[in-house]
Amino acid sequence: MNEYENPWFHGLKWAYLLLVVLTLMAPVLYVMYISFNANGFGANEYVFTLEWYGLIFSDELLIGALRWTLMLAIVVTLVAVPMALLAAKYYKAADNKLFPVFLLLAPLFVPPDILGSALLVSFKNLNAVFIWIGDGLGTSMFDSWFRLSFLTATIGLIIYTIPYSFVVILITMGRYRKEQTEAARACGASGWRAFWDIEFPQIRAGVFSASAFTVILVFNEYTRTSLLKGGFDTFTTVLISQMLNTGMSPQSYAMSAMISFVAIAAIGGIIILTLIRAEALARIARGKAEPVMS
Amino acid sequence: MVSSPTNVTNGVRPVGSMQTPLHERLALWAFRAPLIFMVLFFAIPMAMTVVFSVFERTMFWMEPGFTLTAYENFFFSARLGNFLNSMKYSLISVAICFVIGFPISVFVRKSIPQVAQHRVVLLFILPFMVSEIIRVFALRPVLQRNGLMNTALTNMGIIDEPITALLYTHTSVVIGEVMSFLPFIIFSGFLAMEAVPKFIFEVCDDLGVGPWRRFKDVILPLAAPGIFAGSVFIFVNGLGVALLPNILGGAGAVNAGLIATQAISALDFPLAMAVSAIMMATLMTLLWIGHKLFDLTKILTPLS
Repeated sequence: MNEYENPWFHGLKWAYLLLVVLTLMAPVLYVMYISFNANGFGANEYVFTLEWYGLIFSDELLIGALRWTLMLAIVVTLVAVPMALLAAKYYKAADNKLFPVFLLLAPLFVPPDILGSALLVSFKNLNAVFIWIGDGLGTSMFDSWFRLSFLTATIGLIIYTIPYSFVVILITMGRYRKEQTEAARACGASGWRAFWDIEFPQIRAGVFSASAFTVILVFNEYTRTSLLKGGFDTFTTVLISQMLNTGMSPQSYAMSAMISFVAIAAIGGIIILTLIRAEALARIARGKAEPVMS
Repeated sequence: MVSSPTNVTNGVRPVGSMQTPLHERLALWAFRAPLIFMVLFFAIPMAMTVVFSVFERTMFWMEPGFTLTAYENFFFSARLGNFLNSMKYSLISVAICFVIGFPISVFVRKSIPQVAQHRVVLLFILPFMVSEIIRVFALRPVLQRNGLMNTALTNMGIIDEPITALLYTHTSVVIGEVMSFLPFIIFSGFLAMEAVPKFIFEVCDDLGVGPWRRFKDVILPLAAPGIFAGSVFIFVNGLGVALLPNILGGAGAVNAGLIATQAISALDFPLAMAVSAIMMATLMTLLWIGHKLFDLTKILTPLS
């Protein structure tokens, strides 16, 4: 706070900031509140229950969807985060930064339905071309490469999540000084060794945050997944089809609330962990800096 | 410990005495792989929307050809009016987001200690941890006739009758857009404020300049690239996210995203591609204008 500022005014600004956060969270909190009501939305009487949550886990369809969603999340994270890391390193070293940065951040600006439709039509055409090539060669080997499937959904989701990972990793790389790599190389370390032993430990936090972010994004994504997936369902696609067909049932409130709980717990856990780690590191650093007085 | 390599003399690697080994050349390509992937599966499909949009429509699919029927279907029907209308409401959302969100970016940069700034901004990521679908759907019980908002306002004695215009109207779509995209103007504003050093506030205070003048003549020109990027993001998503009008909007609340997805459901793929191409053209034009005016690469200066 600067000396010109009135402390009351400062407090008021903080209150405004927290009010905006609370407003953004309000619908979600409200859904969580409704999800524990035995009488559902709009009832006069509020009776606490976990019944709706129990129903989720007895639903075969949902459990299947959960499995597909988890698989997608894991595969996309394993591919997209290393790609974002490579891209960030490329960007750091590139002379012409405009092209890579445009290519990697542009998906942020393309709305989900537009990206989804464009990829859907491209994959369908690509599939037709591959089948045509296969026919020419007398093989059916290429027939299912780009049919809508797990693979096409994965590609769509990689394109969607890569900008986020790229930015997060780039931010943590900002603190890394490349002289350290040069020193390691001068000492005779291979490029990989210099990266893995010197650079990676310093950007690890960014890579982990990017991974967590990617998992949550994939878990929450609906539009691109539903346009590009093949015959399987994910958590959000089941949820939406239920909502659109039967309206919000108490069970869909419970499902929405549960996804929200898991996501908030995950990101809350990460924030708390990093804070504890930062605190511990600071304590170690302070311990080293202070002379032992005995 | 770094093991001592065999090809060094006196601890120094001989320079230029041998060809780059194969694995290093492969490594160079590995760094390019993400870009190649993005060109193949993002840039080319987006560019191909223009080509596919002039294909002939068949019963269930399309075939190569040249026709402007899809564009005719877009420009000479109610779709154009809907599109322009959604542009208007999208602009309103941008303005509301800016008025609510940008002061927060300024406040965080100006009045919160540097070490805590990122953590405060992180608070606004919290809503993103919840699926957009759920957040938008959750607005229904909040805005509906007997929902949270009306109940609260009635209980406080502010209104006697529930407000019905809160849901299934253009207003609800704008509310949905603001609730979904507000954090983006805060993030980009936060990045943009990197270009406004803290001492500028002190200089302005010393000169006795009022907050409005300080905002208009000092902050705005310096932070313009970031504000522009955030605004384009909100504007384009307001045009392109079909969910918002689909779930919250009433009759006439149709945006480009909804036109595209409806075209796909109706198996009119050339029309969907024409809408995508028009959206890409809109986006590119906006980014190009922004780049010419403010040099958008400046936003990433703190990152490079």
